[in-house]
Amino acid sequence: MKIHLDELEITAAVSGLELETVAEEHLASCLSCRRQVSSMRGLLGARRQSLEAEGPDWQRQRQEILLRLPSAPTAGSYRRQWIRPWLAVAAILVAAIGLRMVWTPPPADRATSPELPVEQILAEVDAILADDSIPGFEIIEPGLDDAVFENGAS
Amino acid sequence: MDPSRTDLSQLDDALVLRAQNGDHDAFGELVTRHQRRVWMVCRQYVGQDEADAAAQDSLVKAFTKIGDFDRQAAFSTWLTRIAINTCLDELRRRRRAAPIVDEPGDEEGGGVLAILPDDRAGPEARSIQRQAVASLEACEGILPPRQLEIFRLRFYAELDLGEIAEALDVHVGTVKTQLHRAVHRLRKELGEYR
Repeated sequence: MKIHLDELEITAAVSGLELETVAEEHLASCLSCRRQVSSMRGLLGARRQSLEAEGPDWQRQRQEILLRLPSAPTAGSYRRQWIRPWLAVAAILVAAIGLRMVWTPPPADRATSPELPVEQILAEVDAILADDSIPGFEIIEPGLDDAVFENGAS
Repeated sequence: MDPSRTDLSQLDDALVLRAQNGDHDAFGELVTRHQRRVWMVCRQYVGQDEADAAAQDSLVKAFTKIGDFDRQAAFSTWLTRIAINTCLDELRRRRRAAPIVDEPGDEEGGGVLAILPDDRAGPEARSIQRQAVASLEACEGILPPRQLEIFRLRFYAELDLGEIAEALDVHVGTVKTQLHRAVHRLRKELGEYR
């Protein structure tokens, strides 16, 4: 069984600070210690009441405050912070749409046109390749190339 | 934070959301719920005569800046911080204007204590209580400024330890230590009245 709370423990109890379990249990069961705590708390409560009695007319104060309020609060940094990413996205979208509307594509180039006469070009290339008369590319002895590759040596 | 405080805080949050959209009625409700505490905080810093004006300034400022409130802390804590800053600004302004003069009424404590409500106590008990309260008021003057600030925010403005720590931007351990020292010192000084 714990003896009575010491001064520091009474002080802690008055202040609403944590007590050790033993001290807490003692306080719950000891009328003398509880009186010390409640006496000091009562004094603090009386002092608070005396201060509250000095208070203004709360209704009047409330009305005066409401009369002084601006029509709306200023947009705070918290809200600006929240809105900022969305504003950035919106700005990018508007810029992209604007650019798309202003930009006109250049006239279709023949080289990049999807209607390129591919078949005609391929036919011309085939004709060139089939022409043995290109200088420097004449076949000197037919079958020689094959012989070289079949024997693995010239 | 105890459960009742949590409920109050949730109700505050709903009102704050409306007030952030410019709803004056919602802010009026917040004023009703917090004006006593704000006044009591201001009373501790600037004295009785200026407390009303400082409390009004604090609450108007709170509405103006409510868009900054991100609801990370309780509204009451944020509001207390505004009230303290408003009072400190006022004290700085006073210091620049003229030397600080203590309020005579505060030292004597007679007028206010005469209307101390305690119908159950007899005349003798009321007289003793008035003396005790006056003694406590006088003893508070010996506390160092930080201890006095924390002591008054705890017992007169009724802020909990966490709220005080957040409002003053100090560790909660510091609040506990300073509060314990303040109460211990006062009990020592009060002697028979404690």
